Amino acid sequence: MRLPKALIVAMILVAAVVVQTTLFGQVRIISPDLVMLMVILLALTRIRPEIVLATAFLAGLLIDLLGSSLLGLRAVVFTFVAYAALRTRERAEIGRYATALWAGVLSLFGVLLLVLVGTLFGQSSLLGPDVVTRIMVVPVANLFLAALLAPLFVRVVDGDTMALRFS
Amino acid sequence: MLNNEPRGRILSTLVTLVVIGVLLMTFDVRLDGGGVVGVLRTGTQTLVSPLQKAAAVVVNPVADAVDSLSNMAGLREENAALRNENAELLASIILVQDQLARLELLEQLYDLETAGDELGRTVANVIGRPDAFDAALIINKGTSDGVAIGQPVVDANGYVVGTVKNVTGGSATIVPITANRQALTVMVGNQIGTLLAQPNSHLMRLEVLDARDPVLADDRVLTSAVSANYPAGLPVGIVIEDAAPSIDSLRTFVDPFVDPDTLRLVVVLAWPPDPVSVTEDDTAIPVESTTTTETSTTTTTLGGGG
Repeated sequence: MRLPKALIVAMILVAAVVVQTTLFGQVRIISPDLVMLMVILLALTRIRPEIVLATAFLAGLLIDLLGSSLLGLRAVVFTFVAYAALRTRERAEIGRYATALWAGVLSLFGVLLLVLVGTLFGQSSLLGPDVVTRIMVVPVANLFLAALLAPLFVRVVDGDTMALRFS
Repeated sequence: MLNNEPRGRILSTLVTLVVIGVLLMTFDVRLDGGGVVGVLRTGTQTLVSPLQKAAAVVVNPVADAVDSLSNMAGLREENAALRNENAELLASIILVQDQLARLELLEQLYDLETAGDELGRTVANVIGRPDAFDAALIINKGTSDGVAIGQPVVDANGYVVGTVKNVTGGSATIVPITANRQALTVMVGNQIGTLLAQPNSHLMRLEVLDARDPVLADDRVLTSAVSANYPAGLPVGIVIEDAAPSIDSLRTFVDPFVDPDTLRLVVVLAWPPDPVSVTEDDTAIPVESTTTTETSTTTTTLGGGG
């Protein structure tokens, strides 16, 4: 029996939030934005684009609610990232490296937008120590994780074992 | 090439969600994290914190192992330094024990009583952080352990970490001073100033209005009795460069003692002491309860007459 797609996505996102806030919260040398990556990878699935946007918004809101920064900040940023992902997803379907690079570029867009919108709303804490390093490290970490996880993620969510099988 | 799917519905969904997000941000700014926003945060953290605590059991040893591997080169030197520090501390303990014995004798001679102003302390483990761009710390103690919003937090050495921003039954979120938008009132020597976090720097900016004397490098910065959020005398950091008063104010930079990224253990102080007991009866005798768990010890002092 196959679980409903909504439940699978919800479980994956909650797991991503927990891993993000615990494991990657403690190990600072490896700091991907796992939730943002899941949002990006959702654009590669067969889920309706509007649902992808709504899921991205809710995932961002969840991170906002668990942290100390402005409520709605990541919700807006993740929604924009998901939109950009939906509009450019054909580029990711070329091969594994293209998928990774695509996820990395979108993550860079995401963190830059996060810092920009956060600063506009007075969240100077986003520009804490080593902000430039973090702006570079997060997309690179997401790039490597995307190379590892993207095909598995899409196959699990879509229930299609042939999805993203690059020759 | 961009995707050519019909854009109308996607774009309208995007605009709707962005408008909702901006409204939420505006509400949060206007309510300053309180009201409905505070309730939402507490509710969400209540739901997620059991999962985070369960994950932390597995994650903490992994994180320790990764930290140890990344710091392998410095471990030998650190061990030697710690051995020296340990020897010095043992000598200090013997000295303090001697002084305590003398103090006790003098108290008995002069029939003195202690003021009973010790603060309750809740030791907590850091179980996570929201993401790479949010400096907040999530700890494994909450209201059921006596933690309340606004309480000050220090590290194991007593250095200031920050304050409690949100709290649930079993967890709390700490905002470090280095990520707080509000200035911290501090004392340098006999002068009172404010300490504010700096963008893209771990240093904090110290401003002393009505400055009379210069501030020198290596001067210790402590919390002030004027501060509404911290008890007086907690060490915050150290001044890194000399500064002389210009007209009647001075500015310099302070290196905080605590790096929030490396914290694994914090202590939440039960401060200010319970105001209800104080107003009901100014001569209230402190009631102390102590609970011990596997990972930490919690001591809560109620009605301390401080």
